[in-house]
Amino acid sequence: MPAQTPSPMAINPPSPTPSMFRKKKSSSSLGPMSTAASYLSAVRAADARARARGETPLATPALSLSSSVTASSEDTILDEGEESYSDMLTYPSVPPTSEQVYTTVHSEFGHCSNDEYKYTSQHPPGKPVKPQVEQDPPYYVLFTTYISYIILIVFGHFRDFFRKYFNPGEFKHLVPHDGYAPITSDFDSFYTRRLKTRIDDCFSYPVTGVAGRTIVLLERDSKDYNITFQPTGRKVRALNISSYNYLGFAQARGGCADAVEESIKRYGVSACGTRREGGSLDLHSQAEALVANFVGQEDSLICSMGFATNSTIIPALVSKGCLVISDELNHASIRFGVRLSGANVRMFKHNDMKDLENLLKEVISQGQPKTHRPWKKILLIVEGLFSMEGTMTNLPAIMEFKKKYKFYLFIDEAHSIGALGPHGRGVADYYGVDPRSIDILMGTFTKSFGAAGGYISGSKTVIDRLRVRSHSHAYAEAMTPPVLAQVIASMASIMGVTPALPTSTSAGTITKSRMIEPEVKEAYPGRALASSLPSWMDLPPSVRDGTEGVDRLRRITFNSRYLHRGLEKLGFIVYGHDDSPIVPLLIFHPGKMAPFHRLLRQYSTPIVIVVVAYPATPLITSRVRFCVSAAHTKEDIDTVLEACDYVGEVLDLKHGEGERWPLERITSSAVELVHMERPSRD
Amino acid sequence: MSSAMASTSANLEPLFSFLAQSYTTIENGFNRVPGSAVIARYVRSSHQNDPGRTLLELVLAVFAIWTLLQSRTRADKGDRHFIQFSEKEVDELVNEWTPEPLAEPLSPQEQAELDSIPVIAGAQGPRPRLANTGKTVLNFTGTNFTGLAGNDDIKNKAIETLRKYGLGSCGPPGFYGTVDVHMDLERDLADFLGTESTILYSQGFSTVSSVIPAFAKRGDIVVADRGVNFAIQKGIQISRSTVRWFDHNDLKSLEDVLEGIAKERKKKKAPLTKMFIVTEGIFEKDGQMVDLPKLIELKYKYKYRLILDESISFGSVGRTGRGLTELFNVPVGVDRSAKQSPSHWEPQASQVDMLIGSVANGLASCGGFCAGSKYVVYHQRINSSAFVFSASMPPLLSVSASEGINILRNTPSILSTLQENVRTMRSVLDRLDCITIPSHPASAMFHIHVRSAPNATLHLPGASAGKPSNPNSIVPRDPQQFDIELEERLLQEVVEEALSQGVLITRARRLRAQEMVEARPSIRVAVSAAFSKKECEKAANVIKAALVKVLGKRR
Repeated sequence: MPAQTPSPMAINPPSPTPSMFRKKKSSSSLGPMSTAASYLSAVRAADARARARGETPLATPALSLSSSVTASSEDTILDEGEESYSDMLTYPSVPPTSEQVYTTVHSEFGHCSNDEYKYTSQHPPGKPVKPQVEQDPPYYVLFTTYISYIILIVFGHFRDFFRKYFNPGEFKHLVPHDGYAPITSDFDSFYTRRLKTRIDDCFSYPVTGVAGRTIVLLERDSKDYNITFQPTGRKVRALNISSYNYLGFAQARGGCADAVEESIKRYGVSACGTRREGGSLDLHSQAEALVANFVGQEDSLICSMGFATNSTIIPALVSKGCLVISDELNHASIRFGVRLSGANVRMFKHNDMKDLENLLKEVISQGQPKTHRPWKKILLIVEGLFSMEGTMTNLPAIMEFKKKYKFYLFIDEAHSIGALGPHGRGVADYYGVDPRSIDILMGTFTKSFGAAGGYISGSKTVIDRLRVRSHSHAYAEAMTPPVLAQVIASMASIMGVTPALPTSTSAGTITKSRMIEPEVKEAYPGRALASSLPSWMDLPPSVRDGTEGVDRLRRITFNSRYLHRGLEKLGFIVYGHDDSPIVPLLIFHPGKMAPFHRLLRQYSTPIVIVVVAYPATPLITSRVRFCVSAAHTKEDIDTVLEACDYVGEVLDLKHGEGERWPLERITSSAVELVHMERPSRD
Repeated sequence: MSSAMASTSANLEPLFSFLAQSYTTIENGFNRVPGSAVIARYVRSSHQNDPGRTLLELVLAVFAIWTLLQSRTRADKGDRHFIQFSEKEVDELVNEWTPEPLAEPLSPQEQAELDSIPVIAGAQGPRPRLANTGKTVLNFTGTNFTGLAGNDDIKNKAIETLRKYGLGSCGPPGFYGTVDVHMDLERDLADFLGTESTILYSQGFSTVSSVIPAFAKRGDIVVADRGVNFAIQKGIQISRSTVRWFDHNDLKSLEDVLEGIAKERKKKKAPLTKMFIVTEGIFEKDGQMVDLPKLIELKYKYKYRLILDESISFGSVGRTGRGLTELFNVPVGVDRSAKQSPSHWEPQASQVDMLIGSVANGLASCGGFCAGSKYVVYHQRINSSAFVFSASMPPLLSVSASEGINILRNTPSILSTLQENVRTMRSVLDRLDCITIPSHPASAMFHIHVRSAPNATLHLPGASAGKPSNPNSIVPRDPQQFDIELEERLLQEVVEEALSQGVLITRARRLRAQEMVEARPSIRVAVSAAFSKKECEKAANVIKAALVKVLGKRR
C-alpha cells in the first residue's frame, strides 16, 4: 500500500525543471484579471520564499520557461485565442502556499494537493463481487424514446420522398448513375443522413493542443445543417472530461515529455519498416520487457496500433475448429479479429456469469456444430473495463470457471490497464488475481499512458508464437521511437524505478549510485529496474521514486467514485462500476443528446462531453459518457456535477431511484460520499 | 346423476366465485387504465365484424411475444443437431475435454528465424548501428526511400509539436481526437496528390484492410490480382464479397475476367451491384509495377471502381514522389474549378477511386491514408472500422509527415537521386545469372529470387501456357514451382554474408501458411535517397559477391 506521503505533484522541492507558469497577458474583463493577478503574485511569492531558503538557486525562477522550450511555442499554447478562456480552467481557485511549487501546467494536469481527495482502487479482499445492477427508467421514458425514434424515421422518409422529387441532385450519389451502383444506397445511409447528421455538431469536434485536463476547441459553424462545417476562427478552452487520458499523461511538459523530446533527438521520429524486416530497435525490446514486467507476465509484444493489436493477433491465436466465446458488448476490434480468424463465435449476455456458465456447458458438451467433434481450443474474450458501460468484468468468477472448464482467457485491458488496481496494473491487480494465471492480457497505450498502439502479453511460448504468426509483427510498421519513449517513461513513472536515485545531481553520480546499489528485481507488482530503462532516459526524482505515479492512481479513483456517486445522488441513472473512470449517464431520448452536448459546451465553464447512441449502444440507452482523469481536480468534478444538475433539470433526466442529495451537500461532503459503503441494492 | 352433478357444482362453487371475483377485479383494473375504453371498443367491434380476425391477431400477438423472449445468444438450441444431455453427462463431457495448448513451442527453425531478425541500436537511418555487434552498417532494409528518417527539420518540427500537443491524441477522431494537425496533413496529402479529399489512418497496414470492407459488402464483386499483399487479402476476406482473381500483373487476364463477369451477369440478369478492381501500384511481394493507364481504361470500360494500394509506390516513384499517378501522369483528382455542383456529394469522376498510401513508408512517419472524392472519404469517416474505432495518430507524427511532404515538394532532387541509386544497384545486379529480379526497374524496393534450376523452368509460368486460370481460385493454373525451405536457407546465407561485409539486407519475411498463396522466397532490397552513388555501388557489389559465393557453390 502506498504510504500517505504528501502529494509529490504538489510539494516538490524546487526541482531542476522549473514550474511552467508564465505570465499571462491581462484579459479584458475586470473580474478574471484580479483573480489572475492575485494568483500570479501568490505564485511569485511562493517562488521567492522557496528561493530564499536557498535550495536550488536558479537563474530563472518558477515563472520562467522550461529551458527546452522555445518561446514561440510557449506563447502559442498559453496565450493564443484567450478571448474565451475561462479563468477557472487556467488558474486554480486556491493560490499555492509557500510549500507548494507545482510542476505541472494547471490546464494540462490540475493542481491539487489535498490528500483527502485520493482513494485507492481495489476490490475489498474477501468480499464477493456484486453484480452491477442496471437501473431501468420509468416506462413513460422508454415509451417516448421509442416514439421519438419513430418520429425521426417517419420524418426522415417523408423528407427523402419530397427531396427526391423536388431536388434529385441531392440524391445523385445515392442512386445508380452511368452504370455504377452507388457506394451507399439511400436506404443504407438513411440512419446516417436523417438521424446522425442532425446532431453531427456533437461529433468529430476539431481540437488543438494537449488533450489533458482541458482542451481547446476550434469553434465551428454549419450553414447547411451539419453537412459541412466552417471554422469560425475562435478558440474555446473547455474542461475535458472526454479524452481517454486516465492517468493524465497527456502532457506537453514534465518528465515524460522531456523523455520523448530526448528520444526524438536521438532516434528521429520513425522506425522505418516492419519489426521483422529491419524495423526493430533496441527501444522495442526495452519497451516489451518493461510491459511484461508491468503487467506481471513473462513476455510481451507491442503493436503500433491499438485496434490492430486485436484485429491482427486474435487470428494468430485461434483458427478453424476453435471457439471464441465473446461478451456481447466486446469492442469492434475484437469482432474484426475473430471474424478474420475463421473460428466459431458464441456470445453471452454482457457480464452475465450465469449465462456464461450455461453457454460453457453447452458448447463443451455439444462440441463443434454438426460434427460434434471436441473443440480444439476455447478462448474466452472479455474486456477488463467495458468502454461504453463502465462495467468491470467479474474476474474472480471467470477464474473459477477457468479451472473447471479449461478454456483460455483473453482479457482486453484497453481501458482498465493503468486505470484500475492499487498499482495500476489493471483488472487483475484490482481483484488481486495472479496475472500469470490469465493466459493473455492485451491492452493499449493510448488511454492511460498518453501514447499510441497496444501490447499483448502472456507466457514466453505464446508470445514467441505470436512473433512468428501475428500479422502486424510481420507486415505492419513498427512503433515509432517517440511513442516508445512515452510508453517507457509513463510506465516507469507508475511503477517507480529501483534503485531510485538518492539525489539528482549529475549524470556521473547516477551511474555511480547504480554501480554501488545492486539491483534486485522486485516481485510483481514491484518497481522497474533502472537498468531496464534506456540509459539516456533521465526521469525526474518524483517519477523515479514512484510517488507521482501513486498520486495519479489515487486521484483518478477518487474522481471516478466522486463523479459516479455524485451523479447518482443528483438523481441520474448511471451505469457501471464505482471505481471505473468511465461513467455513463443515461439520457435515453435521442433528442436530448445534442442539447446536453450543446448546453455543456456553452456552460459558464465550457465542458466537452461525449454522447453516444445506437449503434454503439442498444437503441434506447443513449448516453453521455464521461471519462474521468487523474488530471481533474475535485473542483473540476464539482463543476461537472453542477452543470449536470442544471442540464438534468432542463432536460428531465433525473429518473434514478434512491436517496437524493442537493448539490451543495454533495460537493461539501465529497470525501464522505467517496468512502461510503454502497448500500446493497436488491 | 343430477345429484352427483349438483354435488360437483357445489364442490366447485368456491372456484367459480373466485374466478368471477378475479374477473371483476381485472375488469375494474383494466377500466381504470386511461384509454382502455377505446381498446375494448376496438376489440369488440372488430370481433363482431370478423371473428377470424380476432384469432389472427391473437396468434400474431403470441408470435411477437415468443420472438421477443427468444434469446439471441441461444440460436443453436433449436438446431436439429442439438443433443440433449443430462446434467451428469454434461459434467462428464466437461471433465473429459482437454484443449490443445494455446500455442505450440517454436521449432528450431522458427527460433532461428526469430533470432536472425536484426535489431538496431539507436537511430534508424541509412547507416545505423546494430545492437548485437555494435557495427555500423549500410541499411538496405528500412522503408526510408526518400531518406527523411533523421531529418533535422522534421525532428525540430516534431519537438515543437510535442511541446504544444503532448504525445498521444487520447481519443478516436469522433471524440475529440480530430486535432488540427490531422486536418492539416489530410489537406496536405490531398493537395499533394490532387484529390478532393483524404482520410488518415493510424497504421499503414490496417488502412487497406479496413477500406475494402467499408465499401465492398456481401454480394458486391471484387476483382483482385493474385499477387496482392496480405493486408488486401484480409480486407477482401472480411468484406465477404464475391471475389474473382486475375493473373499477377497481367491486364490481359484482368480483361478476360472482367469480360467473363459481364457475360455471366448478363446471362443471370443480375442486379446492379458495386464492383471493384483491387490491386497494388508497386507490388509488395515482388516489386512489379502495374500499367496504370491501361488499368484505368479497363476500369472505365467495365464500370468498376478502382482501389489502388500505393503503400510502396507513394513516396518512391514519380518526379516528386507522388507515386504512380505522377509517374504515368494520370490526373487522379477531379477538376477543382467545377465546384458549382448542385449537391455537395455530387459524384465526381476520378481515375483512381480509392488511392491508398502509407505515410509510414512514403513519409517516414506512421500511419496510412486513403485519398479519393469527398464522398468516398466522408463514407469512411463513419463506416471504416480502423478509422472509427482507433485513436488518431500522435499529432507530432502527423506534423512530421506534413513536413515530409513539404520537403518532397521543394526538393525534387530527392526522387532523382533515389532513381539514380536504384539504377546504379540494378545495373550491377541485373546481369547476374544466378538470380532473377522480377521487380520493375524503377521500383525503389526490389526483390531477388534464386534462379530456378533449368529443369524446373521447363513449364513457363503465367497465362502463356494456353488456357486461362480459374478466376474463382487465387491459385493460378500453372503455379511457379519452388522449394521454399531450400531457397530461404540459401537466401539467409546471402543475407548473412552481406552483413559480414557491412551491408544490411533482409529476406522478405512472410507469414508462411497464412498467406493465400505462398510467395516465392526473396531478398528484399530497399534503396534510399540518403545513400551516395558510391555507397550504392559498394553495396550492390557486396550483394553480388555474396550471391555468387552462396549460389555459385550450388551449381
